[in-house]
Amino acid sequence: MNDIIFSLLQVFGFVALIAVSVGIIELYLWSHFRYHDKNSIFFTSVFSFTFLALLFMNIGGLLSIKNFVIFMFWEIFLIYTSKKLIKGKNYLPYLLAAPAFLGLLALLLYPFLFQIYLSFHDLKLTTIMQWKQLGTIPFVGLKQYISVFTVPPLAEAGFFKLLFRTLLWTFVNIFFHVLGGFILALLLSELKIFRGIYRTLLVVPWAMPQVVAVLALRGEFHSQYGFINVMIKKAIESFPWLASIGVGPVNWLSDYPLLTCILINVWLGIPFMTVIILGGLQSISKSYYDAASIDGATYFQKLKYITLPLIKPVLMPAVTLGTVWTFNNINVIYLVTGQSGGTEQADILVSALYKAAFTYNRYSYSAAFAMVIFLILFMISISYSKMFEEKNTDKGAA
Amino acid sequence: MASVTFKKIVKKYNDNLILDGVDLEIRDHEFVVIVGPSGCGKTTMLRLLAGLEEITSGDIEIDGLKVNDLPPAKREIAMVFQDYALYPHMTVKENMSFALKLRHFPKDEIEKRVKESASILQLEKLLNRMPKQLSGGQRQRVAIGRAIVRKPKVFLFDEPLSNLDAKLREEMRVEIARLYQKLNSTIVYVTHDQVEAMTLAGRVVVMNKGHIQQSGTPLDVYRKPQNVFVAGFIGSPTMNFLRGKIEKQEDFFYFSNQSVKIFLPLFSFPEVEKYSGKDVILGIRPDDIILDDKKIDHAHKISGNVEVIELLGHRENIYIKVGDQKILAVGEAFSNFSPGSLVEFSFNYKNIHIFDATTEKRINS
Repeated sequence: MNDIIFSLLQVFGFVALIAVSVGIIELYLWSHFRYHDKNSIFFTSVFSFTFLALLFMNIGGLLSIKNFVIFMFWEIFLIYTSKKLIKGKNYLPYLLAAPAFLGLLALLLYPFLFQIYLSFHDLKLTTIMQWKQLGTIPFVGLKQYISVFTVPPLAEAGFFKLLFRTLLWTFVNIFFHVLGGFILALLLSELKIFRGIYRTLLVVPWAMPQVVAVLALRGEFHSQYGFINVMIKKAIESFPWLASIGVGPVNWLSDYPLLTCILINVWLGIPFMTVIILGGLQSISKSYYDAASIDGATYFQKLKYITLPLIKPVLMPAVTLGTVWTFNNINVIYLVTGQSGGTEQADILVSALYKAAFTYNRYSYSAAFAMVIFLILFMISISYSKMFEEKNTDKGAA
Repeated sequence: MASVTFKKIVKKYNDNLILDGVDLEIRDHEFVVIVGPSGCGKTTMLRLLAGLEEITSGDIEIDGLKVNDLPPAKREIAMVFQDYALYPHMTVKENMSFALKLRHFPKDEIEKRVKESASILQLEKLLNRMPKQLSGGQRQRVAIGRAIVRKPKVFLFDEPLSNLDAKLREEMRVEIARLYQKLNSTIVYVTHDQVEAMTLAGRVVVMNKGHIQQSGTPLDVYRKPQNVFVAGFIGSPTMNFLRGKIEKQEDFFYFSNQSVKIFLPLFSFPEVEKYSGKDVILGIRPDDIILDDKKIDHAHKISGNVEVIELLGHRENIYIKVGDQKILAVGEAFSNFSPGSLVEFSFNYKNIHIFDATTEKRINS
């Protein structure tokens, strides 16, 4: 009982701590925005806030000349921003956006910049103690970027093999996601009863945490006790001729790890596409189909000439997102093959990156590797959206 | 070109009876307008004819051929939809040639037909535009063009003008009338707008609650409405209805209730003798109320008080109160009436409509 109360207190204490810190930050910004025109602002703020900053730095053990100078520069920047740019008008939006902005700064921008920093230096297992003790690591320029392409990240596969595997993985997954999603969405949109129930059931794999879903499915692919092999064995028992044409239990995880991962990820990804495409289908006015019926279109002609072109606007963003997510999908590959004794046969770029960083401990190399993956994905997204925009403006101008 | 026959058509959605045994014959080259309030089943009739809905019972024949089980494409009909239903991702030209392309027409034939109908509808300059780059009237024309290229046996129009603003609607109405003169084909046109019905139709079919109320030429429907519903639905402003009894006084017959007593000359109601003493409904259109002092039947004039006057420009709607009876009359604009003033009027006896109070059917010929 005491434990529970203590845990609750901890939670509330943590929430209160966050609230208080946000409050302090807001108060700090507010005082600058509100009293920007007072002559004393420069004097008071520099004095009082510098004193407070020194105090906090001392408590946090961050006290150093460098940090102090940074803070002074920040203070001057803030005073000038509030004097010249904001001028006491409409400063509420800035106050409201500030906590989120700080969060982004801490969680996105800082790691990104740090990664760029790492990628030009050499941090690995042999230099990490030096970094800890002296605070410096050797600068190596572009060496890490060159090694990305020349030194394999894993024991078995180099960059280009991994890239090819990743592209294959992405393409096959997206293809079956869209195909499966489209078929299911068509069936659902034709369904007159129980549509809500089916839709809910379909969304279950999507709504489940991927870790749970993947680990559960991984069990089903077990060579001896997995559902799939059990079913194959039962089928052979009932229809012995199946064995004669070569059907038999498969060692999924050891013989076909990539195929297994793809099967699992296809199953995981279909619901998302189904929901998106179903939304698209339901937004198509029924009168187009009436008009097409009268024009003499068969069911498949209607699909080709009406449905597909009209769901393209919803499909394209979904495919772009899906491409990025699949390209970047470490969960499935790592959870299926990444544990001890696992294979490297199924690794794609991101899972290789993870292993390079946290199994082989080559931090700077992985940072450069991550930058390369980031650039590839960035280009894919840009070209997708370009393609998309051009199509749209074409139509607008024609 | 073809005739269309509806035989005892019944349409139900689950337990909702939409059409209750409709019989209708549409002759070759005829322009038939089906008109009625919303929910009367008129659009359903059109969709049944197009093959977009299944008939619950009864037969539809096009050119003597039973088409109940034919898919829409095989019925040789073309339809113009209320929301145009132009394929948004195709150009005007692609929209118009889509049906021909599906039927594997040769390319030059498609080209020829699209050009032909584009010139009829003045669409030549718009052929490469997308539907969203067109105005409402242009979209409407494209939708009609898409129907014309097919050279169908029957054209179906499903409230084609209801999405246009009033001015454009007038223009398109004239255009459709001109188109009919040019194509001279069988057209079935559904609308809830009685002005379209009156101006376009060769024959008006008035529907209500899944039944055909009356079918006849516009003039017939206007001058001789067969029941109270048709009388009230056709004509604007709406006909005045007065409830009362037929009374006989000294060889003359009168319609009377607590407020008014109206002389009924024999030529307006020859069978009046039979209905003497019975409850009837008397209908009189606002245009058939005579206010002009020179034309009034002074022997039997009625007097009342002006309640409200609405100026419409060239005419005035004059709301008159006679006792408890309210009567709307239409007069020349800028008459000298003012609210509260006394007004004397009589009815144009030629155009009096008398209906049985219980069956609501017309009883004067």
